[in-house]
Amino acid sequence: MVSKTEETQLNRLENQVDNGGGGVWEYLCLVRKLNVRRSEKVLKHGLSILNDHKKRSALGHEEWTLYEQVAIAAMDCQCLDVAKDCIKVLQKKFPESKRVGRLEGMLLEAKGSWAEAEKVYSSLLEDNPLDQVVHKRKVAMAKAQGNISGAIEWLNKYLEIFMADHDAWRELAEIYVSLQMYKQAAFCYEELILSQSTVPLYHLAYADVLYTIGGLENLQTAKKYYASTIDLTGGKNTRALLGICLCTSAIAQLSKGRNKEDKESPELHTLAATALEKDYKQKAADKLGLLTSALKSLKI
Amino acid sequence: MGLGFMIGVFGVLILSHAAYSTIQYRGLLKIMEEEFSGPPMNVVLELLLGFFFCIWAALTVPGNFLSIHPESEENRIVSLSANLDFMIFNHRAKVFPLEIDMKLKH
Repeated sequence: MVSKTEETQLNRLENQVDNGGGGVWEYLCLVRKLNVRRSEKVLKHGLSILNDHKKRSALGHEEWTLYEQVAIAAMDCQCLDVAKDCIKVLQKKFPESKRVGRLEGMLLEAKGSWAEAEKVYSSLLEDNPLDQVVHKRKVAMAKAQGNISGAIEWLNKYLEIFMADHDAWRELAEIYVSLQMYKQAAFCYEELILSQSTVPLYHLAYADVLYTIGGLENLQTAKKYYASTIDLTGGKNTRALLGICLCTSAIAQLSKGRNKEDKESPELHTLAATALEKDYKQKAADKLGLLTSALKSLKI
Repeated sequence: MGLGFMIGVFGVLILSHAAYSTIQYRGLLKIMEEEFSGPPMNVVLELLLGFFFCIWAALTVPGNFLSIHPESEENRIVSLSANLDFMIFNHRAKVFPLEIDMKLKH
């Protein structure tokens, strides 16, 4: 999870490092801590440290972590020679290491030799059948080959053993959404919200899925979850504000025939609309006209 | 930070001076064989002064307080981490090779 201060810090360091100021190692550590995917920059700046003998020895025993990070970034940028060299260095230092074995498997995946990668992962799993990362790599390989149903099967089996792995639940939810299996995706998001209820983005994704499924009850629940997202982000999430407006108008359309006794107060809608207009005025004043006309066409 | 620290040390010195004068006052009362009801007014004033100095130093020396609200401007979550365990490598960036030729030199 990347918080606002961490994001500004990351952007500042990225600018500094791109323009030639120092702080490369700090930037690489922050990228590793926040688990963001900045492969090109990591590759460029990581290689600048690794190719310089003085800077490399200044890192001490952390240079091996840097080798691993640069190897993965190189695979992502398709510079497979760099990745192979890094893995060779790591193999010399840590022979018979499972972690290096995983990197070899990933390199075979990046090259496209799926069968060989499968062999490497199976042998790693024989030694340690409860290795979480290797299981996840098998899922990723199934996904990369286009075998989505196989990926879902593997992932479900994995989740039966490791139920607390929220990254896996999130991946499963995204796969279901890509296949338009929204009810199952809603279940996965419910698991995520149960285990990590203070992350507003799960509430937002759940509300989106419920809104997509449709139906009066789902729309009302979606409106509640958009509201909780707004609560948890201090009102700064534009998508949740728009979600409230859309939900209110959709609920009003669906319940046109029913009696007006249980009609909710329109306060939430008007508050969200005001907050949106203020936000747009501040950040994108030329698009304010578009927003007001869109909101007007939503009016009940 | 230096000023806060100095004021803190000063406050502690005032408190210890107040303690010393109270002990002296009790010794004096024992000589005069009177009851010890409480320290004299000026010692009480000295105590309050030392107390406020110490509190002020304790609040300013450690630095800024961090916000604990999850929705405050610093703490609010803006994006999720990219699920790197499930990262795949056959994406469209294969057709955009890097301009600079990168190599590990050694």
